Amino acid sequence: MHEREDHDERIHQRIWELLPWYVNGTLSEADRERVEDHSAVCRRCRDEIETCRQTSEAIQGLGEVAPSPHPVQLQRVLARIDEAEQAEKSEWQEQRAGRRPFGLPLRAFQELIAATPRPLRGALMAQVAIIVLLVGVLVWTELRTVRSPAVPGAPVIYQTLSDSAPAQRPGGTVALRMMFSRGATEKEIRDLLLAVHGEITAGPSPFGAYTVEVAAAGHPVSVVLTRLRSDSAVALAEPVAGSAPAKGTR
Amino acid sequence: MPPDDELVLLRRVAAKDRKAFEALYHLYYRRLFGYVLKLTRKADVVEEVVNDVMLAIWSHAPGFDGRSRPSTWIFGIAYHKALKALARRQPESANGREGPELVAEDEPESLAVRRELATVLGTALHRLSPEQRAVVELTYFYGLAYTEIAEIVGCPVNTVKTRMFHARRRLKEMLPELGVSSYAG
Repeated sequence: MHEREDHDERIHQRIWELLPWYVNGTLSEADRERVEDHSAVCRRCRDEIETCRQTSEAIQGLGEVAPSPHPVQLQRVLARIDEAEQAEKSEWQEQRAGRRPFGLPLRAFQELIAATPRPLRGALMAQVAIIVLLVGVLVWTELRTVRSPAVPGAPVIYQTLSDSAPAQRPGGTVALRMMFSRGATEKEIRDLLLAVHGEITAGPSPFGAYTVEVAAAGHPVSVVLTRLRSDSAVALAEPVAGSAPAKGTR
Repeated sequence: MPPDDELVLLRRVAAKDRKAFEALYHLYYRRLFGYVLKLTRKADVVEEVVNDVMLAIWSHAPGFDGRSRPSTWIFGIAYHKALKALARRQPESANGREGPELVAEDEPESLAVRRELATVLGTALHRLSPEQRAVVELTYFYGLAYTEIAEIVGCPVNTVKTRMFHARRRLKEMLPELGVSSYAG
């Protein structure tokens, strides 16, 4: 008996909740039929429908204040749109003007440092320094040699920085792959090349490497390489693969 | 204007067409003004909120996905802007429990607020929370379905029904308390 009453009460509550929208005429057809079927046998819902109607009429009777917009108000909105767009444009232009190769990562790094708790900043900086160092070592290693001989005594195979230059030259010369230091002047390079009887025959490659032919006669290649490598104008000096004997070249 | 035409207008606004924006502004200004005033009951925030809503329409029109009617989308923006403005101005009065506030003289909307507050029903509505009042006004004044109200206020349909349930109960309690048995002022 109680179960039946609970069930009826639940139905009544669900219908009761829908009554404001029954009154404003927006219920689906199915819901409207449910409300009508239930209210036909429910006095409380019939009374509530009447209350909702009175509320609706009274609220509509309060009316609405709806002044026409003054032209100045629209101008204010348009001015704010202009301001916002101008600010956006300036920011974009600033970003473009201030764009530097390392600007963004550097700023991101500065923000990261600022956001890191003070005691951990040292550790973070040290970690970054190690990463930079390792990357440097990796790049240097790549530039120098890549492959070691699998068998002792076998010819060393050097990776070239450019495939454009032939390894061997006619006339007893040895081809070297060379890169010069960033700060090296034209005069320093010229003096150096004259000292080793070298001649630039190709380059620069996309990596900034030159092929330099030096006279092989009279000097062991190792002596020439030692001389070149000891010069501050030289960043890299390696025999081109196959152009020099393995021994004494490294 | 049919919703399809409003949709075209909104699409043009999304493409940063200022003429379309001005047309939309004129089309919605009065509706938004009345709606925001009904929600906030504060004459001094209405203009600011309406302007904020128009700016938001300009900025966010490209994100309008067309799943709802343009008016539902715009009224939704206005609802949230109005509630934010209320919270910003007077956080302590956001529950609407304080009495009618004093409003500035010589402004037509202020006079209207005073006139409405002078009625028993107006006072009772003023004492509802803004969330409850929004559901009551959207149902009885604007004649919207509960599903559309749910979209505007950004909550589940059951929450809309619950808010209306409590609003109805409070109105019933307040009106006899205010000394009347009917809604007539």
